[in-house]
Amino acid sequence: MQLPAQQVAVLEIASADEATSVDALAAATELPPETVTGAVFELEDEGLVAVSERVDETIALTDEGREYADETLPEIALYEAALEAGADDEPVSMGQVIGASGLEGGAVDIALSNYARKGYGVIDSGEITADADADPAADTEANALAELADVDDAPVDSVDIDADTLDQLERRGLLERHESTVREVTLTELAVTELMAGIETAETVGQVTPELLTSGEWEDVEFAEYNVEADAERFEGGKVHILRQTAERVKDVLVGMGFQEMEGPHVDADFWINDCLFMPQDHPARTHWDRFALEQPTHIDELPDDLVDRVERAHKEGVGPDGDGYHSPWDEDFARALALRGHTTSLSTRYLSGEEIGDLEPPQRYFSVEKVYRNDTLDPTHLLEFFQIEGWVMAEDLSVRDLMGTFEEFYSQFGITDIQFKPHYNPYTEPSFELFGTHPTTGELVEIGNSGIFREEMLEPLGVECDVMAWGLALERLLMLMYGFEDIRDIHGTLCDLELLRETEVTY
Amino acid sequence: MPTVDIDPDELRDLTGHEEKDDEELKDDLFGLGLEFEGRTEEGAFELEFAPDRLDRLSVEGVARSMRYQYGDARGIHVPSPNSADWTIEVDESVPDERPYVTGAVIRDVDLDEESLDSLIQLQEKLHATMGRKRAKGAIGIHDLTMLKGTAATEGNPTIEYVGVEPDGDRFVPLDSDAEMTPAEVLEQHQTGQTYADLVSEYERYPAIYDDIGLFSFPPVINGRRTEVSTDSRDLFVEMTGTDQWTIDKMLNIVCYALAARGATLEEVTIEYSDHELVRPDFSTKTKTVAHDRIETILGIGLDPDEVIDLAERSGLEAEKEENEDGDLVYEVTIPPYRVDVLHPLDIIDDLGRAYGFNELEPRYPDVGTVGGRHERSRLERAVREGLVGLGFEDLLNFHMISEAENYDRLDVSPGEDVYGAGEPATIKEPYSEDFTMLRTWVMPSLLMVLERNTHRAYPQDLAEIGFAAEIDEDENTGVTEGRRVGAVLASHDAGYEDAKARLQALARNFDVELETPPTDHPTFISGRTAAVVIDGEEVGVIGEVHPKVLVEHDLEVPVSAFEFDLEALR
Repeated sequence: MQLPAQQVAVLEIASADEATSVDALAAATELPPETVTGAVFELEDEGLVAVSERVDETIALTDEGREYADETLPEIALYEAALEAGADDEPVSMGQVIGASGLEGGAVDIALSNYARKGYGVIDSGEITADADADPAADTEANALAELADVDDAPVDSVDIDADTLDQLERRGLLERHESTVREVTLTELAVTELMAGIETAETVGQVTPELLTSGEWEDVEFAEYNVEADAERFEGGKVHILRQTAERVKDVLVGMGFQEMEGPHVDADFWINDCLFMPQDHPARTHWDRFALEQPTHIDELPDDLVDRVERAHKEGVGPDGDGYHSPWDEDFARALALRGHTTSLSTRYLSGEEIGDLEPPQRYFSVEKVYRNDTLDPTHLLEFFQIEGWVMAEDLSVRDLMGTFEEFYSQFGITDIQFKPHYNPYTEPSFELFGTHPTTGELVEIGNSGIFREEMLEPLGVECDVMAWGLALERLLMLMYGFEDIRDIHGTLCDLELLRETEVTY
Repeated sequence: MPTVDIDPDELRDLTGHEEKDDEELKDDLFGLGLEFEGRTEEGAFELEFAPDRLDRLSVEGVARSMRYQYGDARGIHVPSPNSADWTIEVDESVPDERPYVTGAVIRDVDLDEESLDSLIQLQEKLHATMGRKRAKGAIGIHDLTMLKGTAATEGNPTIEYVGVEPDGDRFVPLDSDAEMTPAEVLEQHQTGQTYADLVSEYERYPAIYDDIGLFSFPPVINGRRTEVSTDSRDLFVEMTGTDQWTIDKMLNIVCYALAARGATLEEVTIEYSDHELVRPDFSTKTKTVAHDRIETILGIGLDPDEVIDLAERSGLEAEKEENEDGDLVYEVTIPPYRVDVLHPLDIIDDLGRAYGFNELEPRYPDVGTVGGRHERSRLERAVREGLVGLGFEDLLNFHMISEAENYDRLDVSPGEDVYGAGEPATIKEPYSEDFTMLRTWVMPSLLMVLERNTHRAYPQDLAEIGFAAEIDEDENTGVTEGRRVGAVLASHDAGYEDAKARLQALARNFDVELETPPTDHPTFISGRTAAVVIDGEEVGVIGEVHPKVLVEHDLEVPVSAFEFDLEALR
């Protein structure tokens, strides 16, 4: 049989005939008592030892008790002073005796209350008498104090003091009793048998090794214990970027709502970015202040000619029998000029026109979560490039109510409820609404998007004969709303803080 | 968005609702789409407005809209101007770039400080919006009593719109004591400098003359002689521009605002060489709106009487009719100050606002479609998951970068025949010198992130699947755009093998054949650089980053890296 070293040590010291306490075992094996206790219980589990427990009572003097043991009990001091004053003959005044005794404070009361009880004399009407036959040397309490003065925590049965005296001393607060559990170990017959057969010491193992497993040795080894509560060394696992996680969640929601994903060029002709949206060419948003025009290359090669004609006509003449155009210049050269897209609605115009994947028949739902570029001021909430969530629904006879219902459904997926619709103006939608929602934590009303029903002046040139409702929202805004980031630059871009990215909570 | 300042006391006065407190006014204004942004120093409301209802750029226009909202006014009100006395004659010398003029005479105005401020604000806001910073239309308002018109044959006073040589005449502009030529105004006068770009290319400058001489230099500045003050009783309003409709509409808005203050309007005759106009033009337009379309857009059923009522409460007038197909339609009349009604849909929007869009019950559209991700987007997600599985921190960097970061600091030059160093698509007017082009590869961004995070714990294994673009004349846009898979491994013992091991793992995940024949690339250490060849095609680069590049980025640990085209894993 193989056992761990500490168990073997316990077996070798313990006896089958006589119980040995854990303390005794610890002293003999030179192991810490808690290790011995652990070994004892494991041996008990294996049936090699019997463990008995008993409660030992020990006694010890309190500080006060020790003080009287050193000097003398107050009542004895009083008695001796009384004898000195001749109180064995006739009563003496209390004051005189107490003064002579040297007792002070609480000790006076203690002396007085025990004086008569123990037959040292009588106290009456302020006078004291002493019994000449009383014998302080026979005072059991004083003798018990003297006996206990030199021992600490003596087992109660190891002292020769009667129980009444002990109780009296405890009542007087001169003595304390303590209880402690003592485990005692006796070898079992099995242990005796095994010991006779020989028990080897098993070695402890730090790591599970291939050899250990293949050799079968693992059955006989003991694994060294680890401190399983300690922190391990920090490990940097990879993580998907927080903004990508948010984008993925948005995509999941939109796919779940029946939307197909769009994609297309970041560098695009103003035609697709603005002209197809019925944005007049002299609209302030098309000036260089908002727009990142390209220096190189400058113009797109090909635009669909017939579409260019239709778009130009819509700008100049409007659409339908009662339509008016803009009183703004329209220049194809400007339409062909390249810029970084200011919104992903350029993807919508490409898809709606049939340019991207062919003509679309209603009903359709499309979305994208892609980057757009705005020549705006760079600050904690504005970036020059950010992700726009773009979505549209194409169907017959869509109403403002359908638009409201769709957005309520979308935003509720992100915990944003109580959507309010503020009538608004966009050149490419009518009616148009700014969307306001309640911040999930602060309860603030915040702008969360822009929406509307695409104008006929936009749809007719694109060849769309039914209604299309659409909306746009900055992904970063949704992220900041949902997770409370304060400076978007900590996350997005080369100024990012790696520690923040590593520490950021994942979203799902 | 632009803002307009409105004095709440004036608003109460002009609407006749003295009992409304400021809070009630704010609510009512929000209902019109005018959002309270704060107060000016003088205590006026600063209101943000959407730039469609340009007839609400002054307190008079806002008050008019509120009277409709309150139900105090209904339908359309068109003032009747008196017949023309004055004429503006357009001379052949007028610059071709700015051929149009319009005007009106306003009599019996009673201008106090507030109403004069309001008039000036309206003028400025119209300049900023419809006038496209005065390029498309510019307004000049003059004290009529200071003008002396030539008594022409029919006895009508006449002023002339002409073109003058840049130094062809002199006048005293506003805010000045000195006589200047138009060219001197552009050089020396503060307002002249601001608007110089509008006319500096012209051969002749626009100018307006009366008998006494030059009194207005549109679109730049008026003469001081005809300056309007609170003492002015009669005004002459002229507008010049590049489009007749635009300046006529601007004139209508100004005329309506002054008429709301009790002024009398008087027409002006505009004599072009080949035709004559009488302005202001207060003719109304009509549009036909189908009842059915109103109901489908709003998603509710409406009685014809309700529609007519909503129209009148919007300051429109609607008459019920039947079209050729027997469908119920409305002939809707639009007042002369509206500039935003291009299509019947715009009228439906007005009706919706009058009804109250927030009264409508949202509903989820009963339209079935099937959703799905774009193939590229699915591929990107799968590769990103692969990278994260390999322990990379996923990054997201800007697409715009500077030439120095993209090329110089990685020791490559634009157009050099190595991976990542394509010709840049450049931005005409960049926000700052840090963002002058689209990055041609993602490696520069990854090294920048390492550079900014040297105080953070290593190893730093970073990856980005990101957009990059370069000039490609074969593309329709002249730019080829793509996603790149870039990765860097930075630690005290990072080496080529670490990068290669991870690249191999990715290649296995996507079941492609990876080869890494040796190559040279200035960003990487020679002899420790390879081309990334996937399924026989060279699509990227892998290697140990050259110490020169590391030191340039203040890095004190070795970095191994790879980058290749995402499409190669497709």
